[in-house]
Parts: sequence; C-alpha cells; structure tokens
Amino acid sequence: MTFGLACCAIEMMAGAMARFDIARFGAEVFRPSPRQADLMIVNGTVTKKMAPTVVTLYEQMPSPKWVIAMGNCAISGGPFAFKGQYNIIEGIDKLIPVDVYVPGCPPRPEALLEGLMKLEEKITGTRRFPVPEQRW
Amino acid sequence: MVREISDRFKEKFPSIEPKEIPYEQRGYHLFIEAEKNNIVDIAGFFRNEGFYLADLCCVDYVDYLELVYFFNNHNKLCRIKVTVKTDPDKPSAPTISHIYNMAHWYEREIHEFFGVFFEGHPFMVYLFLHDGIDHYPLRKKNVPVPEWDRQILNSFRPEEQEDGFFLNLGPQHPSTHGVLRVVVKMNGEYMLSAEPVLGYLHRMHEKMAENRTYQQFLPNAARMDYLGALNFNLGYVATVEKLCGIEAPERAQYIRTITCELNRISSHLLWFGAFVADLGGLTPFLYTFDDRENILDILEATAGSRLTYSYFRFGGLYNDLDENFVDAVKQFITRLRSRFSMYENLVTGNVIFINRVKNIGVMDKGYPIRYGCSGPVIRSTGIPFDIRRHEPYAVYDRIDFRIPTGTTGDNMDRYLVRIQEMEISLDIIEKALKDLPAGPYKAEKIPKKLKPPKGDIYHTIESPRGELGVYIVSDESDVPYRMRWRVPSYSNLMTFPELARGSLIADAIATLGSYDLVIPEIDR
Repeated sequence: MTFGLACCAIEMMAGAMARFDIARFGAEVFRPSPRQADLMIVNGTVTKKMAPTVVTLYEQMPSPKWVIAMGNCAISGGPFAFKGQYNIIEGIDKLIPVDVYVPGCPPRPEALLEGLMKLEEKITGTRRFPVPEQRW
Repeated sequence: MVREISDRFKEKFPSIEPKEIPYEQRGYHLFIEAEKNNIVDIAGFFRNEGFYLADLCCVDYVDYLELVYFFNNHNKLCRIKVTVKTDPDKPSAPTISHIYNMAHWYEREIHEFFGVFFEGHPFMVYLFLHDGIDHYPLRKKNVPVPEWDRQILNSFRPEEQEDGFFLNLGPQHPSTHGVLRVVVKMNGEYMLSAEPVLGYLHRMHEKMAENRTYQQFLPNAARMDYLGALNFNLGYVATVEKLCGIEAPERAQYIRTITCELNRISSHLLWFGAFVADLGGLTPFLYTFDDRENILDILEATAGSRLTYSYFRFGGLYNDLDENFVDAVKQFITRLRSRFSMYENLVTGNVIFINRVKNIGVMDKGYPIRYGCSGPVIRSTGIPFDIRRHEPYAVYDRIDFRIPTGTTGDNMDRYLVRIQEMEISLDIIEKALKDLPAGPYKAEKIPKKLKPPKGDIYHTIESPRGELGVYIVSDESDVPYRMRWRVPSYSNLMTFPELARGSLIADAIATLGSYDLVIPEIDR
C-alpha cells in the first residue's frame, strides 16, 4: 500500500526504484487504496493524531493481511520515545498486529527487501531466495 | 540601514528606545521591548517599511512568558527582535494576523503550545496537537488546558447547513508527500476553501531539545528535514558554534559547502520526480532516483548514512573526506550535466506539462511580505532573496553564484527556478572543489560538554526549501533553555489556502507539489 509516513518512506520509494528494484520479488504493486492491498508497510513515526487513521486503514484491508513495521519509530518509538513525550505511539504493535520488524533509522532498502523475504518465509514456510553469503 | 530604521522608529515611537545589539554575537541588529498596547502599531510600522515577519515564537521564563517577533528585510539584512511580555497565569496578547497573514498560523501554534490567547484572532483552533492533550506541552511547569480553552481548540467541525461538500485530502493521500491533511470545501470540481490540518507527524523536537544536551540533539536535526538533512544539520551546528564562539577550520567550511550543495541537488531531484509524478508522469521519477542514488553513494562513503546524515560536529566535521570523494563528485557533475538536456526534452518542453503548470498558482510580490515565504517560492516571484547571499555562512561569501528568479510566480516559475538552482549548485561545488584547502577538518579543544554563555541567538541558513532559522536561548547549562526552529515549508504552505481558493482541484494538487513540502519539517 502506498503510504508514506516519514523518513523511512523515502527509503521505501528508493527500494521501489530501478537500483534496488522491489519488482524482482514481485512486490512492486503499490496500491493507493487499502481495499486492494494485503500488506501494509508502516514506515515512520505514528503520532497520536495519526493512529486512528492507521488503524482504520488496517481494518479496511481485506483479509488475509500482513503488516511490516519499518524503522525504529514504528517498532518502538525510536529516537522520539523519551520521558514526558506527549505525542507519539511507542510502537505500532500496540495498535495492530505486526508480522515483521525491520529495524534501522532509516533501514536501507535492502533491509526492507529482506523484511519482505522474511514475511514470505513466515507465510509459506519456505524461503525462495537464499540468504546471501556474509562478506565481512 | 539599521541606523535609518532605528531613527525612523524613534520618530514614530518616541517613548520606546531601540537597543543596538552586536550582530556577530546575537544574530540580530536591533532589540525593541514592546508592550501589549503598542505591538500592533509596531508591526504596522514594520509592514509599511517593507519588512517581513521572519519568526514569531514564545519563550517561557516561568515568571513571565515572552513573545518574540523577528522582522527582517528582503533587500538588505536588518534583523529586528521585538519582545512582548505577558503574564503566565492568564497569558494574552493582541493578534497581528490582520497585518501579517503568516502570524495567523504562528499564533495558533503558540496558543496550543503555551496557552497564550490572542485577542481578535479569527480562527483559534488546534493546528498540531491531538484531541487528547491535557497540558500545554512547551510550558516549563505543568499547566493543564482549561475547559474553556479545550472547547475552542477542538471546535473545528464543518457546519451542516453550508452549501458544497467537504473533501479530505490526506492524511494518507499519496500526492501530499507524507501526512498532510487539507480539508477542502468543494463546489463541483472547484475549491471554495482549503484548510490545512497539520500535526500528523509532530515529533516534539522542540520539547526534546529542552531534555537533551547540545550534542545529544545532533541527530534530531536530520530527522526534521530528511531530504535536506545536511542543511538542517549545518543550521543547528552553525548556530551553536556562533553561540559558543567556536570557529570551524577553513577546510571544514569548504567541505560543509560542498556536501550541503550535494544534498540540495538530491533534494531537488526528488522533488522534481515527485512533482511530475503528481501531475501524472511517472517516468521522470525513475530517472531522478537513479541520479539521486549517485549522490547518496558519495555522501554515504563520507558521512556514513544514506538519508539522515549527521556529519557536522561543533567545530568541524565527524571525519575527513573519503579519498574517492573528489573524483566521484567530478564524475557526478559531468553525469548530471548531461542528464539535464534529457530532462528538458522529457519534461520542460512537454506541452502537456506546460499547460498543466503555466499560470497556475500565481503569486505576486506581496505574498512573500505577508506570508514570509522563502526559498524557490520567493525567488519565483522575482525577488532575489537567498540566505546564501543575504547572510552568507560557510564559504558562500567567497563563491560567486547567480540567483535564478522567475517573473510571474506561477508553478512553472517555481519549477524553472529549482531546475536552474541544481545547475548553479553544480557550479558552486566545482568552484569549491577547486579551492578546497588542505588542513585540519576539525577545531582543536572542543569541550565534551558545551556550556554556552547566557543569552539568545538567531541564525539562518538556506535549506533546499528556503530560510531555516534556529533560535536558541541558553541559560549557561549544557541543555538549551529553549530551542525554536523556524522552518521554510511551514510559511510556504501558508500561502496555499489563498492560492487554492477558486481553483480546480487538479490545479491545486500541482500547486501543492510545487512547494516541495516535507511534512516532518512543518510539524517538527
């Protein structure tokens, strides 16, 4: 689903472009409407003002549906969680079920791709693409 | 200029004595202490003198609340600080939104964060905060929101008997580049009124600044404007350096200039793709991201991250340039120059594109003074206002560059100004690379814990979107007492309701795209 919240959205867009090419894994069809989507990528800080909208969008998606929390903000509030904060939700998993967490601030596009693969693994039980060899 | 204004001011208001302030230390020239009963006249005076309102903010000194107005002139640098004190128990002040339209939103912002009531303000409702807020966040003591205020703040509801229908643009609309929401009142395809609702990404940067030391706040600046992260980083670092009297070495200043310009190009490239994508052409989006990846690679090798750089440190840089940096930048300059002709064929000369943007969203020269808009938006109206020339920082005073301007101030002009700016940025980088001196990249003996002297400072830089101002009040501790960010997209967006009124909704989307909005920067 096309839905940019914050900084991570730019990396998601970069992931969809020619260099990282999310289409290689058949995941390039970003939909502007939740009714046509089955995966929501929450990419950015969810504020208390935004939270009802995110939940509504999640509920509007037809089942089966999955959620990727991209970036530290969506996972736990990230750098913006501090004592006395008044405006953010510290982790989107407090509101909707999350399947895959992609950490980073912001995560690289490769990390998002790996998150997609993890999701695929979770759904099908098998991994289609091999884990790349560690080089360092 | 400063003396003249000061004299004319004394003539008009004999009872008030404007104080001259050393500009090098404070970032402003004159300081005027106003009262509640004469601030409206003073604002009127500056409006007649052709000044614009650069910033309006509030500082809580516990004993009293102080409203701070910054006035500046587009032609020649002359920054004037005007303050009004108000009682913390029942804070109020007269509105100046009928003189400067931009004060309209700034006053709403101060109202919800500090509880200052502006008498005579036409539309005092929540702009940023969510409905459930129970205290004024930026006050030093915990002050609960009183019941009467809560009713005013949350009263933005469409009235039922009105004609026309309401449409919510956003907050999850793809063409608003983030989470901007605009409540539009429509009559068929025409917009009767447009009212932006902000705060869907309000991340409390100003509050966080009061909880962190100067060093700890460094990464926040990049997250405010993720497309022009280095520029925001520089804005913050330069302000603190000026406040503490730290001087960065020559080499660091040059590297700052080069990397900031690279960042500006990458920001403009993303805007270029997104703007045309808003109008329905998705192809340039793919091309510009391709070019942008080159810049990201270069900056990643040097600064260490792809998007949210935090490369500058107080007194210099985090580390020296990567050894391939100079070659890579030169290669990139050649590459991008050859791509411009392709963009020209693809977009600039495209008849469909021209018809979509020409003479749409026309701004006259009065807009910048009333709204304080800056960056490419003001330059498109024909005023050559650029902080890099107006109040040079880093090494911009040593590099000669042209400031592109438009004539009519329509969407086409804003587009052309940005395209030319990219070319000019390339020239600046080339010149700076030629002069790049050897030497240390950071100053010696910077203390681990910065404790700036007591006082305040206002410093501006030119971000890709316009004038970025940082106002810091220090109380001699290692934590800022108050940090205020004057962000360019905020005042640029303020012109939208006026431009959109009466236009077709498709044209309004084009206008919205031409601002190059970054929402986290507006919401802070």
